[in-house]
Amino acid sequence: MPSQNGSSPTVALHVEDLTVAYQRKPVLWDVDLDVPAGVLMAVIGPNGAGKTTLIKAVLNLIPRAAGRALFFGQPYEQARSLVGYVPQRGSVDWDFPTSVLDVVMMGLYGRLGWFRRPGRREREAALHALEQVALADLAHRQISQLSGGQQQRVFLARALVQDAQIYFMDEPFAAVDAVTERAIVGILQALRAQGKTVIVVHHDLQTITDYFDWVTLLNVEVVASGPTAATFTPENLRRAYGGRVSFMEHGQAAIATGD
Amino acid sequence: MGALEDLFVRLLLLFATPEAINPVLSDPRTVAVLLGALIAVCGGVLGVYLLLRGMALTSDAISHTVLLGIVVAFLVMTGLLGLPPDLSSPLLIVGAAAAGVLTVVLTELIERSGLVKQDAALGLVFPLLFAVAVILVSRYVDNVHIDTDSVLVGEIGMAWANTNSHCLEHCEAVTITPDDPRAVLTRQCVNCRALNISPRDPRAEFREVCANCGMYTPAQAYQAGLTSAAPTLVFWPKSLTVMGLLTLVTLGFVLLLYKELKLSTFDAALAAALGFRPGMLHYALMVLVSLVAVGAFDAVGSILVVAFFIIPPAAAYLLTDRLGVMLLLSPVIGAAGAYWGYDLARGSVFGLVEMSDVLAALNRALGTQLIERWDSSISASMALMMFVLFVAALVISPRYGLVSVSLRRAAMRQQFDDQVILAHLYRHEGAAEAADELAVATLHEHLRWPRGRMQRVLLRLRAWGWIQVEAGIAHLTPQGRQQVEAFREAHLLQT
Amino acid sequence: MGRDEVRVWGGILAVALLGVLFVPFSEWALGVTYDHTLRTVALGGAVLGVVSGVLGSFAVLRRESLIGDALAHAALPGVGVAFLLAGRELSVLLIGAGVASWLGVYVIHLLTSRTRLKQDVAMGVVLAAWFAAGIALLTYIQARPDASQAGLSSFIFGQAAAMVERDVQLISAVGGAAFVVLLAFWKEFKLITFDVEFAAANGFPVVLLRLVLSTLIVVAIVLGLQLAGVILMVGLLIAPGVAARQWTHHLGQMAALAGVMGAFAGGVGAILSAVDRKLPTGPMIVIVAALLVFASLAFAPGRGLVWAMLRQRADQKRYAARHVLADLYKYASDHGGASSGVPDAFVRGVRGGEAPIGLAKLQRDGLIQASGTHWTLTREGIRAAEQAERSGQGGDDGRT
Repeated sequence: MPSQNGSSPTVALHVEDLTVAYQRKPVLWDVDLDVPAGVLMAVIGPNGAGKTTLIKAVLNLIPRAAGRALFFGQPYEQARSLVGYVPQRGSVDWDFPTSVLDVVMMGLYGRLGWFRRPGRREREAALHALEQVALADLAHRQISQLSGGQQQRVFLARALVQDAQIYFMDEPFAAVDAVTERAIVGILQALRAQGKTVIVVHHDLQTITDYFDWVTLLNVEVVASGPTAATFTPENLRRAYGGRVSFMEHGQAAIATGD
Repeated sequence: MGALEDLFVRLLLLFATPEAINPVLSDPRTVAVLLGALIAVCGGVLGVYLLLRGMALTSDAISHTVLLGIVVAFLVMTGLLGLPPDLSSPLLIVGAAAAGVLTVVLTELIERSGLVKQDAALGLVFPLLFAVAVILVSRYVDNVHIDTDSVLVGEIGMAWANTNSHCLEHCEAVTITPDDPRAVLTRQCVNCRALNISPRDPRAEFREVCANCGMYTPAQAYQAGLTSAAPTLVFWPKSLTVMGLLTLVTLGFVLLLYKELKLSTFDAALAAALGFRPGMLHYALMVLVSLVAVGAFDAVGSILVVAFFIIPPAAAYLLTDRLGVMLLLSPVIGAAGAYWGYDLARGSVFGLVEMSDVLAALNRALGTQLIERWDSSISASMALMMFVLFVAALVISPRYGLVSVSLRRAAMRQQFDDQVILAHLYRHEGAAEAADELAVATLHEHLRWPRGRMQRVLLRLRAWGWIQVEAGIAHLTPQGRQQVEAFREAHLLQT
Repeated sequence: MGRDEVRVWGGILAVALLGVLFVPFSEWALGVTYDHTLRTVALGGAVLGVVSGVLGSFAVLRRESLIGDALAHAALPGVGVAFLLAGRELSVLLIGAGVASWLGVYVIHLLTSRTRLKQDVAMGVVLAAWFAAGIALLTYIQARPDASQAGLSSFIFGQAAAMVERDVQLISAVGGAAFVVLLAFWKEFKLITFDVEFAAANGFPVVLLRLVLSTLIVVAIVLGLQLAGVILMVGLLIAPGVAARQWTHHLGQMAALAGVMGAFAGGVGAILSAVDRKLPTGPMIVIVAALLVFASLAFAPGRGLVWAMLRQRADQKRYAARHVLADLYKYASDHGGASSGVPDAFVRGVRGGEAPIGLAKLQRDGLIQASGTHWTLTREGIRAAEQAERSGQGGDDGRT
């Protein structure tokens, strides 16, 4: 990997020597990563490889033992408005008394600042984001009445409304139906077409080559990172997943169909 | 109950004479501590299972709601059945057990409706049942044993006074009738008062009256000189019987079902698959908790009993990982708390410090006018002493104590820091960017560490001979390389 | 604002108005007149109910109901210490209660974050130990000559009658201040309650916000102690929130309705116990609040259990009608055309228990007609049956 200066504007995300540990056990170990702007990147790796941890550590959600992350050359505190985040769907209580539109507007709270209430402009922005994920007619629906795929799209709309330059999504495809998955992929690819950077924690190796143009294989350390065609190789998969043969076969099948 | 009490007394007599037993069992301190210890054994043992099953607060809920069972049973007993009030009646026990199970079932029902979360369901059910009980108590129950004060603190300090006597020898009850030779007959004037005359008056009429007729217990008979030998009596505090029985039941339950309980606690699904009926065990446990709560109600009230269920198991949990050891430690901690708690209520802290001295010192220092004689609730003081022991365990436990954990954590952090630097060198050595990444002067910037921390780590690594610095650039030594590879072996190459 | 939203707000307002009307109504129904004392007590109860209902809603949504219980118990030693140091001055007693409660929050947090104890155990330990300390202090205090006037035991089960006008003013002022803070940080509190991670990623100081929200809940508990008592305060804190949650899907409405319901429970409980001194206030409030909860669980539109039951019955009818209609249509078509009669015995024989339900509904909807012992499909009936068959909904779905 060429050594790129973290302050270069073409690097959307620059991670340097990032180490995260729980008790003494390392979860991420001296991770270096550069993600160029405008790619749609999957983060893959076996269970416990630190995929979610990577996103959370980069976004300052959990303490780091060492290292730093820069967004377009700036630390997170200054780059917050450039970053959108889609947490795992299961991380919240969907029985919370609020409406779809309200959840989407939460994406704008950070920009609103203290003491200001969301108004007409925020409402319109949220409705626009809901149209993009094809949920506009459910705007006033209570969130507990949504299906899993709809919940995921609401979270996506909440990130869209942030109008960020770089998006982090934690397993947006987990347990959604095929229609929703296609819809979400469409949105992600539209984002990339607008020049945005999208980083997705992903599980399904078979769809990697179809959906993503950039991939990072993670197993506590970075195993490989780069354009999908060059990086998503059986050799790298074996290094990331070790002897888990079934995964390997899926991976190779995916590569075969992708080529 | 009577037969059981007899059994307890006879068992006791195997070890001591009545002369030795009586002073002990009529000593308020001994009886209170003994009773507290029995409650602590029951609560401590059951509490361990509650804690491990994540149901610690269920004991709180149940101990509140057994009051409803007690009060309803009490009202049924005195109001509907016209029985004399008796707090050790089996009806009360049935009522309490029913209330305990009702709490659990009601909570599960509300939770299962999907409309209310579990914490809120519990937080709704037991305040409601307790509220109904308190209303019933303050409104309809007029009895010395149940009032809102005893609901709170119980009467463990008075347990010694409420005894049954058990007679062992010379147990002759005597009944004297007028024709008994021992009867003392006196003549009594029948019409003296009516006629206002003296008994010497010739008009006076007389009748023979028996002065000492009636029934005599063995003790009374001896005192009245009706029997020649003094009866041998043992005075047995009533409350010890109930708690003694509950202790036996609890210990029996745990000993007999040790492996079933263990399995259903740690893996309910497996227990069910093996046919152990974890559901039945769950309810059996709840019934036992309810029974202990009602048995302890007299002594420590309805709320403080929670301390006996939660604090000692929590302390034991900080001291050991092993279920068997926990089951031993927890009752011991509880009993020790009961022992020192009695002294605390009477103003002495571990026999080392007198509360009166503390209060006097406070008065001098703050200019307050506190009463210097400390006299306080025994049951609350027992709970407090359990908490003191809990804090001791929290601080000094060799495995999970705050001191050892923070020491260990500091050592771990050092080790970890070392490994972070070694790994950094390992990865960047020989690569194009090495000159930038590995310069000692700027290393801390790459890792976002304070300069001081980095300097300490580098110093340590050089002292151990794991790294060398040449021309401002750090290098791994062969030993250092070995360290890195050992660490990677242990933590990273797990696949 | 959607039309539904407006309707619910209207409903809340109406309920609040009814609550105000409750005063003259209860004068008539209970046969009491509201002298100055009773008015004070009722007002105090209502104000406290509003404060705990609104703030308690957040405790319910954060799944911290039982922390509320632990914190209420934990306030007791603070009351005792404050009394020993400064005598019976409500504001001082409440500050003492607040400090003790706060210490409880801190120790629970410490035990959960620094040891292997789970949160429920930590709460249980703090609850039991703090409460024991409180009882020990209170029994010690009872030896004082002036203890009988202190009325400290009213902090255990609550005693509305002890409340005077100054207390109500104090409670209103502190509660009002708590509301100002709540409204100022409304959207932040909403965000950290719903999705704390997203809030953190957006740069909100979540630890600080959580601390402020916990403090507000402690304030609500502490204010309510005199009325509801430490043991049953949790009832006043969470019951209104749980009840209100059933009626609305909107956080603001939930909090407002919880306030109204809390006011009702607090006010009614206080009045009842002030009328009959034998009834301690805390338990009365809890019973009233629990009744509100059970009524809400049963009748709340959409979520309520009664509605669920009705919906289930309607579904059952609809399915029965659909099945019977398909049977009739098929039989008639096979026996001389869609409009020919079908013997009653056939339908009942085929469909069993569903037959009478389905026939009754179809007849009511005008899809079939009875002619003697036979049933005939009407024109609408035939159209409906054809439509059902086309969309593949007829026949045996729902029966397998």
